[in-house]
Amino acid sequence: MKAGLRQSMAWLHTWSGLLLGWLLLAMFVTGTSAYFREEISLWMAPELHHSQPSPDTPALAWAALNAKAPDAKSWDLQLPEARSPVAQLRWQPDTPQAEDGGRRRGERAVMDAGTGELLEPRASRGGDFLYRFHFELYGVPRIWARWLVCVATMFMLVAIISGVITHKKIFKDFFTFRPGKGQRSWLDSHNATAVLALPFHFMITYSGLLIFMVMLMPWGMNAAYQDGWRGFFQDVFPRDEATTEPGAPAAMTDIAPLLARTEATFDQPVRRISVDWPNRDNAVIHISTDKAPAITDKRRGGNPTLVFNGVTGELLETQPGDEAVPGAFRVYNLFVNLHLARFADPTVRWLFFLFGVGGTAMVATGMLLWVSKRTQQLRGKAPGAALRLVNGLNIASLTGLLAALAAYFAANRLLPVELAARESWEIRVFFLTWLLALGHALLRPDRRGWIEQLAANTALWAALPLLNVATTDSHLFSAAGWRHGALAGFDLVCLILAGVWGYALWRVVQRRTIRGQGPLPQRSRPQQSMAQGPRSKRGARTAEDSA
Amino acid sequence: MTVIAVTLPLTLAYAGLTALALAMKRHHEAALGAKPPAARLRGFRIAGWVLIALMVASCLRLWPTGLALSMALGLVTLAGLPLVFLLPYRPRLMVRLAPVLPVLAVIATVVLS
Repeated sequence: MKAGLRQSMAWLHTWSGLLLGWLLLAMFVTGTSAYFREEISLWMAPELHHSQPSPDTPALAWAALNAKAPDAKSWDLQLPEARSPVAQLRWQPDTPQAEDGGRRRGERAVMDAGTGELLEPRASRGGDFLYRFHFELYGVPRIWARWLVCVATMFMLVAIISGVITHKKIFKDFFTFRPGKGQRSWLDSHNATAVLALPFHFMITYSGLLIFMVMLMPWGMNAAYQDGWRGFFQDVFPRDEATTEPGAPAAMTDIAPLLARTEATFDQPVRRISVDWPNRDNAVIHISTDKAPAITDKRRGGNPTLVFNGVTGELLETQPGDEAVPGAFRVYNLFVNLHLARFADPTVRWLFFLFGVGGTAMVATGMLLWVSKRTQQLRGKAPGAALRLVNGLNIASLTGLLAALAAYFAANRLLPVELAARESWEIRVFFLTWLLALGHALLRPDRRGWIEQLAANTALWAALPLLNVATTDSHLFSAAGWRHGALAGFDLVCLILAGVWGYALWRVVQRRTIRGQGPLPQRSRPQQSMAQGPRSKRGARTAEDSA
Repeated sequence: MTVIAVTLPLTLAYAGLTALALAMKRHHEAALGAKPPAARLRGFRIAGWVLIALMVASCLRLWPTGLALSMALGLVTLAGLPLVFLLPYRPRLMVRLAPVLPVLAVIATVVLS
């Protein structure tokens, strides 16, 4: 009975993993990059690289908004911080058309935080494209894409649970890795990346589903509220609408003392200033700071904020108030904050990035294991169409996607700045490269395919820092590149990735017997070292048989 | 939070996991080359868990509780991956690093912060 359960779980694990693995791989790669979404966006906007925050930045931004939109309906000003050296200005014009689409986007501008000059970065979706792709893909109706992503996530959860059940020796083989043994090595590395990072895998998958719980399970809300989730949200996140009528023109109070007071109150730097009805006698100024780095929110509401009367400077309200967050809500917050690494300082952000890389490796090794096992079973015979197809799709979804990513970054530097719909062209380059890689992989779904795409990746990723030297003045060999750690960090990660692909290429070229179709010598291995004693062999076989 | 501060829990996790690996007969033989008596394996197991406990404690000093426990799990993961790959290739290096790295981390933390 027990063997029966394990066998059926192994079947489930194998096929749910394979069928959704390609999509999961893309989600893992783009999701991992999304931990550095803002850094990637900054890298992809070289026009912003010379901005340096100064103590005058709030005053400069205040002046810029006053010059640009003195009679707007509202202002929203984001001050520079460690991850972004520029000031972001947004305003909502006081025109009825602005509200028509229901999406109230308003106008925006980017300001050099040191000089106050308005900057014009090249049109690019930057890290946002990768972030969005992670959960909405691209070019598919948003709701379909989200459902598809959620189905894949659900299957990932299934794969995690069935994988744990299938894995007989989860503790005995906790540290086991037997290199140079083809299928067994892939199984070991799949196990190692999966088991060691199991807490992360479970967290990221479960929280991914929680983020979409309103979409996935709307029935409770639909039963309780006549207007479904809208009513639910109005209840859970009550939104106080700003006064809808502008007051009489009036001069606003000096912003500097309000900033100082907010910083002193919360002991955090000010991040955001927003104003309802600026330069009117009913102006209200909201000044927010960063949240303290914690993964559970004990108090309701967003970032710590002081609300002031815009004319007199009188303090109106302190947010968040004292209302405690209910238990279930705190659990939700905990998972969502962990998924998004909202609380993360740079070190923790890097750790999450590395976990994301580990997750990518876990999915990738699983899919390579699928091919490796079936190649080994052929014992030298030519692989059939299905195996070649899977191997081709593996190549395209792993090396192809990474090549497309490098091409996306390269396009940012190479496409002319004045090109119409430039941001769409960057994305087209991404997909065209991916498509090209898919075509190539399907034509050569074998060792040659891997070798050529790994070589292409090595060249592309190594070329990015060089391209940066050629096209910008904020590259690895410049002071500007090092002033914001993100810029130098980006180039260094490119070089590291180039090194990883180069190493992988070298290994594939070296080991023709394992990835190729020749007879596999380890089948008739005469002797085993102590580390691969009879027990470990048996352990591997049970998992193999069921994989 | 600096990178330096994280090195202590990270290296403690590495040392703890190495001790736990050495508490397993198969890995003990591969890394130290001798057939271990049961008492020694138990010693390694206890040492391993003590180190892990120290590691959790050092996380609790760095972060608020919830974050600290999450990071403790994450750092065990991060320390485990190099361990898994050192074990077959350089088992002796794996063992030698275990006492050295936490000491270096303590020195680095004291000197650089």
